[in-house]
Amino acid sequence: MLNFTSEEKKVILFLLAVAFCGICLSSLAKLNYRVKKMFCPQESLTKLDLNKISLEELLKTKCLPPKTARRIIEYRLEHGDFTGLDGLKEVKGIGEKRYEKLKELFFIE
Amino acid sequence: MKRLLAVIAVFYCLGIILANLSRVNFWLIFALGIILIAASCFSLRKKYIFPVLIFFLALLLGGLNLKKSYILPKCHISNFVSYKDNTVYSLSGFVDGAPETKNARASFVFRAQEAQVNQLKWRCCGKVLVKSDFPRELRYGDKLVVIGNLSRPAGFGDNRQTYRDYLARQGIYSLMHVKNSLQIIPQSGLAGSKLIGFSFWLRDRCEQVISRHLPDLPASILSAMVLGQRRGIPWLVNNAMVKSGTVHILVVSGFNVGIVAFIINLLLKITRVRRKLRIILAVTCLLIYCLVTGATNPVIRATVMGIMFLLAYIFKREPEMYNSLAGAALFILIINPRQLFDVGFQLSFASVLAIVYFYPKLRDFSRIENCRIKVLRFICDGLLVSLSAWIGTMGIIAYNFRIICPVTVLANIMIVPLATLITLCGFTLVLCGLFCPFLAGIFGTTIAMLITLLLNINAAVIRIPFAYFYL
Repeated sequence: MLNFTSEEKKVILFLLAVAFCGICLSSLAKLNYRVKKMFCPQESLTKLDLNKISLEELLKTKCLPPKTARRIIEYRLEHGDFTGLDGLKEVKGIGEKRYEKLKELFFIE
Repeated sequence: MKRLLAVIAVFYCLGIILANLSRVNFWLIFALGIILIAASCFSLRKKYIFPVLIFFLALLLGGLNLKKSYILPKCHISNFVSYKDNTVYSLSGFVDGAPETKNARASFVFRAQEAQVNQLKWRCCGKVLVKSDFPRELRYGDKLVVIGNLSRPAGFGDNRQTYRDYLARQGIYSLMHVKNSLQIIPQSGLAGSKLIGFSFWLRDRCEQVISRHLPDLPASILSAMVLGQRRGIPWLVNNAMVKSGTVHILVVSGFNVGIVAFIINLLLKITRVRRKLRIILAVTCLLIYCLVTGATNPVIRATVMGIMFLLAYIFKREPEMYNSLAGAALFILIINPRQLFDVGFQLSFASVLAIVYFYPKLRDFSRIENCRIKVLRFICDGLLVSLSAWIGTMGIIAYNFRIICPVTVLANIMIVPLATLITLCGFTLVLCGLFCPFLAGIFGTTIAMLITLLLNINAAVIRIPFAYFYL
């Protein structure tokens, strides 16, 4: 019955190790909130900070025309940091459709 | 000749390149081909002349196939459309591919079968890319009538790779923009291939399993690694991986195909299925996996190579790497010769070719076998594989993306083993989720942690000075 080949042994060991690791981590996450951060990538890895981004970086994204990118930076200089992503709608040249796209690109810390 | 298929593939590709550069007429190439066939018949017994004639025939075949791909049938829908056309067309047909929804908009490939303008109706063929301003629940094979203006795709983008060329390689020459949901009228019944329909259904189920057990970002990354679905990956993550030269891990490749073959083989081995039947079932599963992942160039390459290796066992022939690679290239290029100009095709084949060619040479040169520490030997092996792939693809990447990433080799040493582990765990999660969902949860946490670790390593690697630079 326990006549496993070396490949089968490796697969069983792999599955058990992953399951063991998974159970340990989820238990630790329940006990300590900080552990949970290990499973969720930080927002700064996936999105750009709207209040810190420079014009150069904004142009590199190629998600909006240079004119609009300049207007975003000017708006930030004039009115101070954005308090929410909704603030983008007040920038000239950003309508509902563009806002929907930009929402996925930026975050505010 | 041991590598006959490889030489034929090289001549076939040369034929495609020459036909693309020249304006030689289709019928002229055809006439030359007839002459060469006749000459080959007369020189069947000539030892040297016959192979040379065969190679030139392969060259002409490549050119001829490319010229043929430019000729569209008379009833093709794009023949009726000028650059911008105000005529309102009513097209009947079916959804030919998986519809995509993003930012509350949908787009899908529509295979037209009948066209109507006012009272005039006629049969037509060809694909149209339909873009709608609203999300719509559609599946592969749904029969529809779409109403709207047709236009030709604009040629914006880099001069070398325009959007028009990109769509043309997929056989799409016309676009339709739909603004109102009333412009899409569903019809009764399903069309299209049942096997493709089943593959899309299976892919949806697998995606559901992944998104159920993982947070959004890890789920999108795992979907790309296991199912080849990259639509959910944020721009910044993709860009960071391009900078570190590790974006290849987000594409389904030969490694994934190998894992599928291994899992199927192992499961069938446990159930004591005969070897030949096992291979046949493994080939069937590989074909289904190829369809599930969208049959992109790297997957087709890996699937054809995998099938050739498996069949070599049945026919008791020794598998040859260069011939399998050439067989895969010919398979793709005979169906669509324009794929030769696709960057994905070039990168996929160049990387494998470079690994096959450079890796053994670099290994001999560095004398790794003499190293007694197993871990160090493993790391050095990884380094040499990355270095070989980098040498092979650097030119193509620099030309097309104008970026050189010296950090690639270092990044790959750290990221590829991690990506391998994630892919293995990903397959385990998907299989568990499909067959015993209550067990799948315990794998999700580990995968999420591994993906977070991978993203952090990638972010750290691109912060190294001179990690990458744009040309």
